[in-house]
Amino acid sequence: MTGTDTLADLPPIRARRILQLALKCWPFIRPLIKHLLFLLGASALVSLALFALGLLGTDMFNNKILVGDKLQPLQAQLLFVDESFVLDDIAGNVNERELLTESQRKTVRTRTMIWGAGLLLVFAPIVAGLLYYNIWIWQMINQNLRVAMINKAEHLSLKYHSQSRVGDAIFRIYQDSATITSLIQETFIGPAAALYNIVLALAFLCFFDPRIALAAVLAVVPMILLTARATGLLRERALANRVAFSNLTSRLQEIMIALRIVKANKGEGRVLERFDKDSHRALDAAFTLRMTIAVLEVAVTAIAALVTIGAEYVIIYWVLGERETFLGAAAVTVIGFAVWNLGAFEDARERLGGALFGATGLVGSWARLQDLFIGLERAFYLLELEADIVDPDQPVDFPTPVESVTWKDVHFAYDPALPVLQGVDLVAESGTITAIVGGSGAGKSTLVSLLLRLYDPDRGQVLINGTGLRMLRIDDIRESAAIALQRNVLFAGTVADNIGYAARSPSRADIEAAARVACADGFIRELENGYDTELGERGGKLSSGQRQRLSLARAIVRNTPILILDEPTAALDAQTELEVMRNLRQWGTDKVVFLITHRIGTIRDADQIVFLEHGQPVEVGDHESLLRADGRYRRFAEAAAGEALGV
Amino acid sequence: MSEAAAQTETGVVDRFVGEHHHDDRIDVDTEISSAQALGLLWRCLGLLSRAKALFAAKFALQTGTLFFQLFMPWIAKIVIDNVILQKPIGETDVPYPPFMQPITTFLDGMTPLEIMFALAMGYLAALILIGFRAGELEVGLFGSTLTGQDETAAAENKISGSYSESSGLWGLAEYAVGVRLSQRLTNELRTRLFQRLTRLPMAVLAEKRTGDSLYRVLYDTASIPWAALDPTLSLGTTILTGMVNMYLIQYSYEATAPQLVWLAWATLPLVFAVTFPASKLMRRINQTKRSAGSATTNAMEETVGSIDAVQSLGGMRAEAQKFATRSLESYFRERVALVVGLLLFVGAAVAVIAIALWVVMIVTDGIIEGSMSPGDFGVLFGMFFGIVFVPIEIGSFWLNLQTKLAPARRIFFFIDYESDDDHTGTAVARISQGVDIEQVDYVYPDGRTALADVSLSMRLGETVAIVGPSGAGKTTLGYLIPGFLTPTGGRVLIDGHDLATLDIDAVRSHIAYVFQEHLLLAESIRENLLLANGDATEPEMLDALDLAGCTPFVREMPDGIDTPLGLSGNTLSVGQQQRLCIARGLVRNTSVLILDEPTSALDPETEQSLFDAMDRIAKDRLLVVIAHRLSTIRRADRIAFLDDGVLVETGSHDELMQRDDGAYRRFVELQSLDAGTSRV
Repeated sequence: MTGTDTLADLPPIRARRILQLALKCWPFIRPLIKHLLFLLGASALVSLALFALGLLGTDMFNNKILVGDKLQPLQAQLLFVDESFVLDDIAGNVNERELLTESQRKTVRTRTMIWGAGLLLVFAPIVAGLLYYNIWIWQMINQNLRVAMINKAEHLSLKYHSQSRVGDAIFRIYQDSATITSLIQETFIGPAAALYNIVLALAFLCFFDPRIALAAVLAVVPMILLTARATGLLRERALANRVAFSNLTSRLQEIMIALRIVKANKGEGRVLERFDKDSHRALDAAFTLRMTIAVLEVAVTAIAALVTIGAEYVIIYWVLGERETFLGAAAVTVIGFAVWNLGAFEDARERLGGALFGATGLVGSWARLQDLFIGLERAFYLLELEADIVDPDQPVDFPTPVESVTWKDVHFAYDPALPVLQGVDLVAESGTITAIVGGSGAGKSTLVSLLLRLYDPDRGQVLINGTGLRMLRIDDIRESAAIALQRNVLFAGTVADNIGYAARSPSRADIEAAARVACADGFIRELENGYDTELGERGGKLSSGQRQRLSLARAIVRNTPILILDEPTAALDAQTELEVMRNLRQWGTDKVVFLITHRIGTIRDADQIVFLEHGQPVEVGDHESLLRADGRYRRFAEAAAGEALGV
Repeated sequence: MSEAAAQTETGVVDRFVGEHHHDDRIDVDTEISSAQALGLLWRCLGLLSRAKALFAAKFALQTGTLFFQLFMPWIAKIVIDNVILQKPIGETDVPYPPFMQPITTFLDGMTPLEIMFALAMGYLAALILIGFRAGELEVGLFGSTLTGQDETAAAENKISGSYSESSGLWGLAEYAVGVRLSQRLTNELRTRLFQRLTRLPMAVLAEKRTGDSLYRVLYDTASIPWAALDPTLSLGTTILTGMVNMYLIQYSYEATAPQLVWLAWATLPLVFAVTFPASKLMRRINQTKRSAGSATTNAMEETVGSIDAVQSLGGMRAEAQKFATRSLESYFRERVALVVGLLLFVGAAVAVIAIALWVVMIVTDGIIEGSMSPGDFGVLFGMFFGIVFVPIEIGSFWLNLQTKLAPARRIFFFIDYESDDDHTGTAVARISQGVDIEQVDYVYPDGRTALADVSLSMRLGETVAIVGPSGAGKTTLGYLIPGFLTPTGGRVLIDGHDLATLDIDAVRSHIAYVFQEHLLLAESIRENLLLANGDATEPEMLDALDLAGCTPFVREMPDGIDTPLGLSGNTLSVGQQQRLCIARGLVRNTSVLILDEPTSALDPETEQSLFDAMDRIAKDRLLVVIAHRLSTIRRADRIAFLDDGVLVETGSHDELMQRDDGAYRRFVELQSLDAGTSRV
């Protein structure tokens, strides 16, 4: 029942699966694809520009300003300085150093810094803008996803909901939908950007010496081997972490809902103990997972560091020997990296670091992906669940006016082992009230749930005017039937909001009229703000009788051809009940009304009484005829009446 | 007055900053003053006392890392000056700091390549110990915080978040200690908050929204360890770094670049001037962001929690729309917070960059003029920023603190909220006589009167029915007995002692209350019963189930009393749930048992069998039944008839029926009239 079962049979992560999941994400990305492509293009350009500028800057700063080498012709042009700053014989003897004078160096320094400040002013807003743009895009993708998920959750049949914990759903929609956007970034965009930067870095390294670039490429082999070995473990621990956190959320959710029970039963200590245990379990799982990732990252970065140290030593050797770079004379007009020098050392080291640590960054991403994939599987588990109750391909228009509702040999079970309805045949005509009576657990509520298509019968069908429900649109059905539930659910909002909740833009007059039918108008007017009084969660401020009348009004205001009242008056006193029933009768002359109740006072006036037992209507008829039949109903009625009269 | 004034001022800015209580009913006053901010900070710091050893270990390891880092710029200087540029060691006017002396002495006289070889060997050793060159260690899950996720997703990362400036073995140890430290602090806090939430008075619970509680416990608490660790760990090491660097700059460069020393100091007031005025704005923006987030959770929780109602009423589209709007709003608030933070950062950064450019000028002047060497640039620049970062850290710490104080306030609000824990006093060992209600009034906070001057005396061994039309105040009266509500006037006496002077837990352990709504935990029936009485034996449980008429259906369940129930017991019919709830009340075996509308969802036959058992249940107990079903009522020894908050009549059924124009009689006649015609 918890996340564990649903996660146990996770498919292994394969490339095809990743692609498949990526395709599933497509509908949520598509509305933003233009933005995304623009962002990627702009980022790539900015990144390339920064790379090139970095190369130029390192040379300028190290070789020209700090050491005092003369400028390359292009550099002189950029700084608007004259010929005396420029290397005389650029292609000639590179070993013979010509140096700038002190004042020339200061000029070069100052102008370089003006350039630097100018570029900062240009690039800083661009980068900040891209950052904001990036966040906006991903938030919108995430929004599409979240909304799709909650839509799905709402359209699943109640069978699903009775089996899954609410907390799990909350965890899914919040944590997991966020992981999907992270996943697209980490699987596609992040690595693509990292690879782009690594390739750029390697290309620049090749200018200095291809062997250094090769060393960087070779260093990746042990990194990959290490990562491959750790992957299984990572996945297992990521799963454990998710499950532990999900269980904690569910626990908390459940306790918060049932807090009053906990208090009334003095269960606080017990509940706290469990929460603490769950909390520790979640924290331990998070710790283990993180340490696994940390160890892997330390090992991989150590490899990168090792290669860096070796390469540095070699480069120093070359610098001391003033060895020509691979770029050689080709660089001379633009930058002063014809031979290995301070600037070349600094830049090559930086590129090497960029390539190697870019690779270790990818390993880190892979490690996190193991966690993300689990989140994704869970998220898609919900999205992939086909709503088991769906509209027909070619729906028939809803028959109006509704003349009859028919159950034809209907069988239904929540759990195959425990059948609830076993062959129900029943007809209810327009303008009549049908009372459904029977012991608790006889299937009364289930019977009417089928009429709303909250569930589908296992066998047989429910028909309206002879048209099977499966031929109709679900929205049409639910728009034509109003139900007042046994459980009086109130929503956050005002009294008027609650009554008008399910109706199409009801006017205040409609709402008040419905409230009057449900005998709710009186007490509502006595509330602090009348119809505009805010209700707490689950309508805490109202008595249960008052809540029940609001539920009733909510069903009435919809003015639908079918009205179902599930224990409409259980929490009402006799006087109010009588009044409500009288109002209802006047109001519902052209409607099919169903009434589930135990109260003999309510049943008596029904046009038709159905006595359910063992999932079958054992007796059907009006009050008088059933009493005459001298069967189950009579015994039931006598028990009720006997009590009432105190016999 | 002030409210009206505030309203007229509502302009563009306010719309941007937002209204911070999106969806809360209890915790509505969310403004934090600077004094309160300091108070909250102090309380967050108090948390550290719960993890002293871990904190000390993390601090020591972090300081160690700092020590290793001191060598780095100086070694880089050697590489540039003495290896690449091939100058002899100690040629310039800049003296090496004392801790470098052994190294420079060792390297003195070597050729550049020999120096490089020696340094490379040193690097290798350091690689294993502190991961020299391997950078810092930080593990975050779920991508970065900038990937379009909101507070809730980031929380997990904060709870188990840690970092180390070094890598290698040292870094791993520091990282592990860090994770445990923030976890320990979070757990301390969230368990405490959870405990306080369970101890909130019943009247508050009705107002409290589940999504909000969830958000506070799981997500708000995640920020708090960092509210305590940032000013101590991070700020501590930053200040230490600043001091060391200040000393080093003076030691090595005072002769060559004295301006740098005072320039470093000058940044301090500058950064403060930018950050402090902005702190109030940041606080408000973050309050708004958080409450928007919790409004989204509420929207979803309500929909999913009441899915049966939503579906059967056809409200799916409206609910999804509501969720979408709130979610969008929450994302917008996230971005506002981000942009404002970014702008403030840019403000501070511009100031710092201007200073940095000046520093570059000074240092390059020195190098060009020959008083310093190229290798000094890296050292000096690094040290200068080691100093400048102190005010920046302090400034941004103060700003970041605002984002953490919003959740801190939300957490401490409920930790401080009046709770049952405050309701202490004499512990009663048992209830041996009964309960007296003495001239009790109860007025709701919104001013509606629920009870007025009600007096009622109930003894053990008695069954008392509280009767009346709906809305008469029956449940309110029931709630007064176990202290779920505190009367606004008059007293409730338990065995003659004023309930207000008694230990509320002790009293409640002798009173069982079965609610009108049947709430079951999504666990096994056994767990549901054990929740009520952890010491219940199997026979006791079976007996309670039997008394409540659960045996027939429990026996049919696949695993009997170990069968898990779905969400809120959804797999059971309402009548079955109700019977289980009654069993849960019975299994506690208390002196006082209160049944609130116990049978409204039962069919008459089940009800009758339940009440046949009631005689057994009521023996030696005070049984209070709140009902309006006649069948239930007439079995009571005494009936208290309430109407509109006033106790109109008390007496047995027969006594009350004898009063010709009694309110109870009218009430009964109405029901009988109705049922009477049904008799053959």
